[in-house]
Amino acid sequence: MLALPFLGSLGVAALPRGARAAAAWLAGAVALAAAAILLAHAPDVFAGGVGRWALPWLPLPGADFGLRLDGLAFLFALLVLGIGALVVLYAAYYLDPADPAPRFYAFLLAFMGAMLGVVLADNLILLVVFWELTSLASFLLIGYWKDRAEARQGARMALAVTGLGGLALLGGVLLLGQAAGSFKLDVVLAAREAVQASPLYLPALLLILLGAFTKSAQFPFHFWLPHAMAAPTPVSAYLHSATMVKAGVFLLARLYPVLAGSEAWFIAVSATGVLTLLIAAFLAVFQHDLKGLLAYSTISHLGLITLLFGLNTPLAAVAATFHILNHATFKASLFMAAGIIDHECGTRDMRRINGLWKYMPWTSALGIAAAAAMAGVPLLNGFLSKEMFFAESLRVGQHPVLDTLTPLAATLAGAFGVAYSMRFVHDVFFNGEPHNLPRTPHEPPRWMRLPVELLVLICIGVGIVPALAVGPILALAAGAVLGGPLPEYSLAIWHGLNWPLAMSLAATALGVAFYFALQKLYGLHDRAHFHRGGKEIFDWIVAAARSGADRLTRYTGGGLQWMLLLTLLAALGLGVWAFLAFGGGPAPGPGRPATPAEIAVALLGAAAVAATVVLHRRRFLALLPLGLAGLVVSLAFVWFSAPDLALTQLLVEFVTVILMMLALHWLPGESPPEPGIARRLRDGLVAVAAGAGIAAAAYAVMVRPSPSYADFFLRESVPRGGGSNVVNVIIVDFRGFDTLGEIAVLGIAALAIHALLAGFRPAAPAAAPGGRRSEMLRTVAALLLPIATLVAVFLFLRGHNLPGGGFIAGLVFAVAVLVLYVARGWRWTEARLALRYEAWIGLGLLAAGFTGIGSLFVGHPFLTSAFGHPVLPAVGEVPIASAMFFDLGVFMTVVGATLMALSAIGRLGPPVKDDEL
Amino acid sequence: MNHWLIAPIVLPLLAGAVLTLVEGRAPRLARWVSLLATLGFLAVAARLVGLAASGEVSVYLLGNWQPPFGIVLALDRLSALMLLLTGAVALAALIHALGGWDRRGAHFHALFQYQLMGLAGAFLTADLFNLFVFFEVLLAASYGLLLHGAGPERLRASFHYVVLNLTASALFLIGVSLLYGLAGTLNLADLAVKLARLPAGDAGLAQVAGVLLLVVFGLKAAILPLHLWLPGTYAAAPAPVAALFAIMTKVGIYAIARVFTLVFGAGEGAAAQVLLPAGLATLAAASLGALAAGSLRVLAGWLVVASAGTLLAALGLAGAASLGAALYYLIHSTLIAAALFLLAEAIGRQRGAAGDALAPGPALARPALLGALFFAAAAAAGGLPPLAGFVGKLAILDSALGTPAWPWLFGVVLVSGLLVLVALSRAGSLLFWKSEGSASGAAVPAGEWLPVAALLAAGFATVLFAGPVLGYARAAAGQLVERGGYVESVLGARPVEREPAR
Amino acid sequence: MSLELLLALGIGLLAAAGIYLLLRPRTFDTVLGLSLLSYAVNLFIFAMGRLRVGAPPIAAGGAPPTLATVADPLPQALVLTAIVISFGMTALLLVIALRGRHESGTDQVDGRDDGRGSGA
Repeated sequence: MLALPFLGSLGVAALPRGARAAAAWLAGAVALAAAAILLAHAPDVFAGGVGRWALPWLPLPGADFGLRLDGLAFLFALLVLGIGALVVLYAAYYLDPADPAPRFYAFLLAFMGAMLGVVLADNLILLVVFWELTSLASFLLIGYWKDRAEARQGARMALAVTGLGGLALLGGVLLLGQAAGSFKLDVVLAAREAVQASPLYLPALLLILLGAFTKSAQFPFHFWLPHAMAAPTPVSAYLHSATMVKAGVFLLARLYPVLAGSEAWFIAVSATGVLTLLIAAFLAVFQHDLKGLLAYSTISHLGLITLLFGLNTPLAAVAATFHILNHATFKASLFMAAGIIDHECGTRDMRRINGLWKYMPWTSALGIAAAAAMAGVPLLNGFLSKEMFFAESLRVGQHPVLDTLTPLAATLAGAFGVAYSMRFVHDVFFNGEPHNLPRTPHEPPRWMRLPVELLVLICIGVGIVPALAVGPILALAAGAVLGGPLPEYSLAIWHGLNWPLAMSLAATALGVAFYFALQKLYGLHDRAHFHRGGKEIFDWIVAAARSGADRLTRYTGGGLQWMLLLTLLAALGLGVWAFLAFGGGPAPGPGRPATPAEIAVALLGAAAVAATVVLHRRRFLALLPLGLAGLVVSLAFVWFSAPDLALTQLLVEFVTVILMMLALHWLPGESPPEPGIARRLRDGLVAVAAGAGIAAAAYAVMVRPSPSYADFFLRESVPRGGGSNVVNVIIVDFRGFDTLGEIAVLGIAALAIHALLAGFRPAAPAAAPGGRRSEMLRTVAALLLPIATLVAVFLFLRGHNLPGGGFIAGLVFAVAVLVLYVARGWRWTEARLALRYEAWIGLGLLAAGFTGIGSLFVGHPFLTSAFGHPVLPAVGEVPIASAMFFDLGVFMTVVGATLMALSAIGRLGPPVKDDEL
Repeated sequence: MNHWLIAPIVLPLLAGAVLTLVEGRAPRLARWVSLLATLGFLAVAARLVGLAASGEVSVYLLGNWQPPFGIVLALDRLSALMLLLTGAVALAALIHALGGWDRRGAHFHALFQYQLMGLAGAFLTADLFNLFVFFEVLLAASYGLLLHGAGPERLRASFHYVVLNLTASALFLIGVSLLYGLAGTLNLADLAVKLARLPAGDAGLAQVAGVLLLVVFGLKAAILPLHLWLPGTYAAAPAPVAALFAIMTKVGIYAIARVFTLVFGAGEGAAAQVLLPAGLATLAAASLGALAAGSLRVLAGWLVVASAGTLLAALGLAGAASLGAALYYLIHSTLIAAALFLLAEAIGRQRGAAGDALAPGPALARPALLGALFFAAAAAAGGLPPLAGFVGKLAILDSALGTPAWPWLFGVVLVSGLLVLVALSRAGSLLFWKSEGSASGAAVPAGEWLPVAALLAAGFATVLFAGPVLGYARAAAGQLVERGGYVESVLGARPVEREPAR
Repeated sequence: MSLELLLALGIGLLAAAGIYLLLRPRTFDTVLGLSLLSYAVNLFIFAMGRLRVGAPPIAAGGAPPTLATVADPLPQALVLTAIVISFGMTALLLVIALRGRHESGTDQVDGRDDGRGSGA
């Protein structure tokens, strides 16, 4: 049953835009079929049984995908499907041929399904799920006429407000589930004491009520509903009579057994109810828009229902349930009538629509009957529930003041109700002739009127023979609401002369008087709409939020240095905090005193660094001290027993500086001065602080004894790594995997550079490089290449045992080629060397990768090395280790990547003129 | 030793190497290689999830060296999950890219494969320095991909992105080596053991290293105040790349989850105390950013930040339940973010000059299709039922109820949820409803909407099968928090017998 | 003045200088800063293996060396990796800066040519 509407929705959505009739038929069929299934369950529901069906879903307590059909659910499901079917029929005639009908019915069915889900859900989570779905579907329905601004706004407002409620409800439901120990309704409904004793009760209650009130458009969240009137009238008839807004009061009814009965419930619910009831009823009188009037009356009737639930008495709950039913019927018929009128007259302005009695007597009769029901005229259903309401208002019995206030409020509300009903009837159907209507109204097609007729029939039937018409189902639903024995009550028109009757009469008289007074003395028609605060406040909040967010985002957004600063400060701040929080500090071990020479070198380095900073704006110049600083670093490496590092550092240094020089040909040679010292001062402070922090950490660790596990490498390097240069063995064997990643990075960088500069031809160099090269340089360069190649091979081979290895060898070779480039120019060199860099990179990576895979074939994991030691003349013992092929891959990748990067920049345009050769 | 563990890294590596060779010359062939490699990656990932589901931690000793001395790969439920997610997003992004993005510059497919290699390595390695290396691999590849197609906006964004990440890399190196200097090891499991035995005097320094790493991972994951780079960068990236990047922020989240539960212990240490407040602050800031977003891609970027904040907050709760919920949320948020970026491109193409700017523009030629997709994606991203965003949020909130911090979490999560909802409904009505002029764009090629639909379907599947999926996520979380198993498996692993050196 | 302190100060100085340049609003200055910073970081990693003069970790015959006799080889290996990676990255960054300058006409890091950078 639940699945049907959703499937139908998809089916309809699949229909072509033009297929109006088909869509309508399908939708109607779906609604009726679902209703049939529902009625099939009727017997056992009336027998007091509760239909259940569940699939396992969420691994949360009781959060299965479960359905539950009890009296309340049955009543609501019946309303949803029954009125749904009528609306479908009605819409078939209402919709304009221009409107895409399939979309309409698809949304409508989706909404129907969601609503069914809400009433049938057997646990709170599922209820929230479908609850949110109704919000979404209504968003689409209200925004159906997407080209109308008010439709878009109305839709967004409805979604925002009900969305707020939905989120609140989610929170509240979670708390409730926590308090009750499960989300399953059976459990929750039975856990009244436990829940109301729990500290979570109050927050849960408030959040859930927030959900219910937003949905049922209770004050102060009522404002979205009138704006939702921008929707096509069938939608209004559906959403605002039987479904959407009823979801809120349904929630109140559903959770009545567990939440109600407390002081908090009484205050929150009844106060909200009574306020809404009065305010909305009052405002309704002053609407000129037909649908506006109905919208406000809907709000006030919902307020009435809420109030009844809030009264905490069983009878009130019964009355509430009864009124839910009644309101659904007469309000749906009224909306449809309004729709017909709108349809026939082309306007909904009651100042222009008058005296329709002459033009469409039959529709008028229906409208009048329904309006009378709304006003609570005897022999109509509205009367009965109103009587019950009055009766209940008399025995609140909580507090003397309330005892007197409530009946008064009730009567007053009744009076307003009569007034706006009067206005509806009198203004529309009588009160002279219509003024300049777009078209002359006449009776609508037979089938368009049918739904209204049926609904009005129900109103009358219930009104005259209530016990017969609704007795059983009401008892059923009310029983489910109370979750206990029903109180004594009798459904009859005549209870004898008693207070409620008196109140009714008073209300009617007052209402009529009030209306005509307004009409005559106040000149109702000339007055503008009452200013509705809600929308403005809402808009203001949204606008404020947006502009605030805007400012925030723009202020914090973007700039690189700002982001860098935040990053550094975060590191610095957290670091200091963590250190202070967890204590400990440099356990001062005996440092080794520094010799004057060492200090001198250090000072040289310091000077170089300082010079780099000072000269940084004159870029070419700054490269010299930078290089010097690098040199000192590599000296440090040599001195502290790291020859490989020193060598690598030097070569990388060399290549980097060359790269920078090449790049500088395409960048300004100088940085413009920065205005203002403040920023530089700030940056300086941050820099110094960070530097101090790093220095402190370094010192603190250096003076501690080393816990390193590196003895293993020293021990195993020769016997199992097959090399005596432990660093190199680590690189190609113990941690060869790091190296694999490292060369990958190098290759990737080269590819990125290549991709970025491919086909990039900048204008003339920013700075013209000087002079031509001497003959000597050429010859040197020419000689250098073969020598360097030899050196590279040598370094490569011995690398496993003495400083050297694939990476260093690769750099040496690259540097040699680089020198040749400088000496001969790019084209000359590349013409002769014809190196395909991608190939070097790709093959290098492949070599490394396949070396690793090789070991899989002998059953060893990736990158396991195997080796032997043949002795070569001049080089000495050479490890023919699988590690060596790996190292070969390293070599190739390094050469390819380095040269690719260099030539990509170099090729941009010769920094030095090419020789014509 | 199970050689499947190395496959997710080696497969893309070799594919990348081959592509490096052929892409320039045989672009058609390159496409096939890339596609097959990605499919293979996905298959392997699925295989590994099956392997990890058993609950045992599989260990792979690279170079067959005794842990902790060699580099070790370890596969637990979390790693497997991340791999599968990577594969799924990558496939969608690649198919989208085959629509033409891959031809707008050189080496796209090679870089794409290297990116996968980096991601896989980061998710599998059990060695802190090796994690750094793979971070560099995936970053280097991401630089290349981000620059793909150039253009001033993209270049500026790339420069920022690269500089920030290089700074972070410096911090990473300092943190790693600091831990090495104190504990004398790089193996994560070994670190967990050694740090526990650290003399009191060294605790402070170890925690400093911890927070430095937190900053590094936080920058990747875009956590306040390190989140500012993300929306701009992702908006500037080519659509398929942005989609792939949806998994990149999750690398940061993964690293946080891994390092700060395994090495430092869940809820212990300085970093752990920062997570919850930082996460909530991020979420709040991100939802405001979403509200202010001027284009759909920027909006999607902010949503990525928001999901990072939610995840971090959940991690901050440090309970297994919260962690499980977070992992579930991670799956969906990644899929949806990827879908949104791809969708933004399709919508932008349809609206011609207006692009994906959140302003009235020409109507779409295919409003029904794109509208439906957007509606689903938005509902999912906004955490509305029936999509997984809702379930994930639900599970996170529910798990928070036990902790004292629940009012904060409820407040921030629900309010920011509302803000995001408003932002998305605004975006939707501007893009699809408020149209000026008639449809300009052409049809939407299948290669453009199919991946989106597939991602959304995958996201929806996580709701349909919420039971098993959430179950797996919780099991993964349990495995993560109860770190004994991981440590024992890693340190207990023995190399296979090898013949002694000749 | 111990050797350790000397090196620590050196590292601190390099880092400070690097960070200061990193925060300059011009792309090239940023690159300079990153190079200095990477020197500092490399030395820092290296220092985590403690200092030892004149005892490179080379197992030249005889009894295998131990940490008591030679320097810790592991940080050296890590530094090698770090150097290579930062080399590649520097090159890439330079090229981005170069191309960016020609696309946006300025080498200001945010592509704005009002001299002052962001975040002030």
